[in-house]
Amino acid sequence: MRIACGITLSLLTLAASGLAFAREDRTFDKTVAAQPRGVVDISDVAGSIEVSGWDRQEVSVHAELGDEVERVDVSSEGGRTTVKVVLPSHTHGHGEAELHVQVPKGSEIDVSAVSADIRVSGVLGVERLNAVSGDVTAELGDADVEAKTVSGDLRLKGHGSAARLHASSVSGDVHLEHGAGDFEGSTVSGELVVSLDSARSIRARSTSGDLRLEAKLAHGATVEATSVSGDVNVRAAAADGGFSYEVSTFSGDITDCFDIKPEHAGRYMPGSTLQGTRGEGAGHVRLKTMSGDVQLCDRS
Amino acid sequence: MAHAQAEDTRVEWEAALVQRARGGDTRAFERLYREHAGRVYGLCLRMTRDVQLAEDCTQDTFINAWRALPRFETRSSLGTWLHRIAVNVSLARRRRSSPVEPLPEETEEGLAEAWTLETPVEVREIETAIGDLPDGARDALVLHALYGYSHGEAAQMLGIAEGTCKAQLHRARKLLRERLGVEVN
Amino acid sequence: MTAPHDGNGRKVSSLAEIPTSIEPGRDLWPNIEARLKESPAAAPVTTGAHAIPAHLRRARPPWLAAAAMVASVAVGVWIGRSLLPGVGRGVEGTAATTAPSGFAAATDATVLDAAYVSDPRYQRQRAALLRSLPARLAALPPPARAKVLASLAAIRKAKEDLESALGKDPSNALLQELLVDTYQDEMRVLTDVREASEPGRGI
Repeated sequence: MRIACGITLSLLTLAASGLAFAREDRTFDKTVAAQPRGVVDISDVAGSIEVSGWDRQEVSVHAELGDEVERVDVSSEGGRTTVKVVLPSHTHGHGEAELHVQVPKGSEIDVSAVSADIRVSGVLGVERLNAVSGDVTAELGDADVEAKTVSGDLRLKGHGSAARLHASSVSGDVHLEHGAGDFEGSTVSGELVVSLDSARSIRARSTSGDLRLEAKLAHGATVEATSVSGDVNVRAAAADGGFSYEVSTFSGDITDCFDIKPEHAGRYMPGSTLQGTRGEGAGHVRLKTMSGDVQLCDRS
Repeated sequence: MAHAQAEDTRVEWEAALVQRARGGDTRAFERLYREHAGRVYGLCLRMTRDVQLAEDCTQDTFINAWRALPRFETRSSLGTWLHRIAVNVSLARRRRSSPVEPLPEETEEGLAEAWTLETPVEVREIETAIGDLPDGARDALVLHALYGYSHGEAAQMLGIAEGTCKAQLHRARKLLRERLGVEVN
Repeated sequence: MTAPHDGNGRKVSSLAEIPTSIEPGRDLWPNIEARLKESPAAAPVTTGAHAIPAHLRRARPPWLAAAAMVASVAVGVWIGRSLLPGVGRGVEGTAATTAPSGFAAATDATVLDAAYVSDPRYQRQRAALLRSLPARLAALPPPARAKVLASLAAIRKAKEDLESALGKDPSNALLQELLVDTYQDEMRVLTDVREASEPGRGI
């Protein structure tokens, strides 16, 4: 009898805790003090991460958690705040969490995700954004940005403040609007579409994806765009100092808006080059492909 | 018959060396170098007209050849393959350093093949006259008249149409005639 | 220019009589041999078309340590097939034989690589990345895995196309530069996949 009661009691306890778990609010909220220009590390496996900057000197986390998420750790020490979604080891990375994190707008953020999309807005400090298969969508601040994905797409939007921007994906697309400063981007098979309001340097590369660059070049700017089989389309304007250009392709076509005919290596040998100068030739544009077509025009 | 047999033996010997060189045997490659260096250097020197450049081109030719050995088909002539590389190397260097001269109009006009001189001329004088030819004319003349490549082969090595090659040879003959003061047939 | 042949005053009646062979004024073999054997990370080597321009010798992006090594190795060096035959091939064969089913195409030695960079550091690094590639790919989310395999296939095709074109035009500088770039991109992909599947990311 006692054993039966004991077992019943145990079963009831278990059921109660199970019920409590089911009734437990699968949301998480925590706010910690943070330095105005501190570092905020955020990591999530699956779900989504949304980061926004605000004027408070606090990091505030609101999360909606899937059943398989064990917990969210938030800690702050010595100018670094860490937000980490923790999964039990047996879940093999299947737990989802939708994180909404507000950070001091001057923060430097370091965001990592596996299958989670990342969205960033209103952050002015350095941004390091890493996703495996999630997409990354970010507003750029005034500081450097490094954004990488394996298969997700990158969509970056600046507001014309010069900074150093690195954007790379293995197979995702890379899109940048209103960038400025120094840009380095690459994708193997995605497309790379970049627009810079003012460019000091651009290096863009793909293996098979197309490259489309549009930029207003600063004085003495350098542009280098390379693809093996993707097409390269560049619209560049250099009000200050002009630029010289050199376009080479092994078997692609070259078209340009400057009324200069490409020089062919030979009628019976592949290879074309196009060289010329716009204005004083202070900047330099170099475009090369193996089989992709290349087009170079003034930016309208 | 004996000459053909000797040639077959030489080709087999060369193929064996190529095979060894492909395996990383630099000594085998050195023997190939010794065999072909003279003709490669001669070609480079006549195309670049500069001893230092010709030495650089010769070295680059053999370095490139070493690295491209796996792609070489042993049934082909190694010498021709090396000359092809040497021509590419020389042309590329020249493209960097001097403007590309305009190509003459193509011609289908027949050309004498022998390049005989009405009266004998000193070798040094001929070499100087060849060296003074414009680049395109000189290239075509060296490959066709000295190295014995056909119009088509020379054209292909230089990356020009066969008609253009013939036009360059016409030009070369005319200029040599003027320079040497003898008829070139 | 000095005429190639002094000829010792000899006269000829035909251009065909002019000797085609001219011995260089000095033995060039020692220099050639040294260049065949020297480490490619040493002084840049002119490959014949023109030396790879200085701006391509810049350090690689700071976030790609592995690709930085490739750049310092590959720049100025003709990436060829025959310098160290067999090295790396055995390792890649290992990677292929241990690949889980479905990844064989991505990891097969003959598919991923037939050309070598002579620097042993690069070869070791690449071999290590290739060995772990099947496991790394298996750890990725399925949509990412499929896209990465497609990208690796694109890189493989690019290498094949470039090497084929270089076979016909071995001293083409543009093709050489593009091949170096493609090798760098391959290293970047392998490194990114490794980092993406490392423990701590929850996979």
